[in-house]
Amino acid sequence: MRSLARHKMIRLSCQQASRLLSQQQDEPLMFGKRVRLRLHLMYCDACTNVSRQFATLRMAMHRWRDKD
Amino acid sequence: MPPNASSAEAGVTIEFAALAEQRVYLMRIARMELRDEHAAEDCVSDVLTQAYERRAAFRGDSSLRTWLTSILKNRIIDLLRKQWREQPIEEGPSGEQDFDNLFDETGHYAEMPSHVRDPADLCQEEGFLSAVQRCVDRLPKRIGQVFVLREVFGSDTKELCKDLGLTTSNVWVQLYRARMMLRTCLEKNGFGNAQPG
Repeated sequence: MRSLARHKMIRLSCQQASRLLSQQQDEPLMFGKRVRLRLHLMYCDACTNVSRQFATLRMAMHRWRDKD
Repeated sequence: MPPNASSAEAGVTIEFAALAEQRVYLMRIARMELRDEHAAEDCVSDVLTQAYERRAAFRGDSSLRTWLTSILKNRIIDLLRKQWREQPIEEGPSGEQDFDNLFDETGHYAEMPSHVRDPADLCQEEGFLSAVQRCVDRLPKRIGQVFVLREVFGSDTKELCKDLGLTTSNVWVQLYRARMMLRTCLEKNGFGNAQPG
C-alpha cells in the first residue's frame, strides 16, 4: 500500500476518523482506511467513545423499532 | 395437520385482524419517516389495503411485520421521490466544513465525547429510546428521512442511492451529519444523564 509508506497519510484527524466511523456503519471500509482508522482508535479515547456512541445509536434505533 | 402444511402452496392465510394488529407499529415508523400525521395515516391505510388484496403473495417465510414493512418502505420511497422532485435540495456545500466547531485547530475533539458504559443496558431504557426519538424528530427533514430509511427500514447505501437518486458520497454525508447531530443531541440528554459519574 503506497499510502502506508507515508506517515502523514496514515494519521487521521478526529474529524476524518469520525467520518470513517460513520461510513463503517454503512459499508465495509477499504483496507487502507480500515487500518488507519484502527490505528487512530488505538490512541484516541475521544473517537473510541464516538465509535461506541454510533453503535449505541444503531442499537437504540433497532430497539425503538422493535419495542412492540 | 399443522396449519402451515395446508397453506404451503397457496401462501399463508392472513386474516384482516392480523394486519390491523400491525397498524400501530406501521404508524409509528411511518410517522418518524414522513413527519406528517396525515401522510402517515394515508400511507399506512394504503399499505394495509394493498397487503390484504395481495395476501396470497405472502409466503410466510418472513414475518408478517417484515412483509408489511417492505410494502410500506416502497410506498414511502415513491412519496419521497415525488416530494423531493417538487422541492429540490437546499444542500449547503457538502462536507469538509461540517461540524468544524466540535474540533480544535489540530482536528481533534475540543470536548471529550461521553463514554457509553453499557450500550445494551442503556438501550433497554424507555427514557433513552424516547430521547433518541426526540433527537431524530429534530434532525433537518431530509437528513432525518435518509437516516430513518437506513436505520429503521434497513436500506443499505446502494438502495438509498438508487431509490432516492443520490450519489454514494452524498448518502455518506447525509448519514454522517445525522449521526453527528444525534450524538451531539444525546450528549445533552441521553448518553450523559443515564450514566452518572
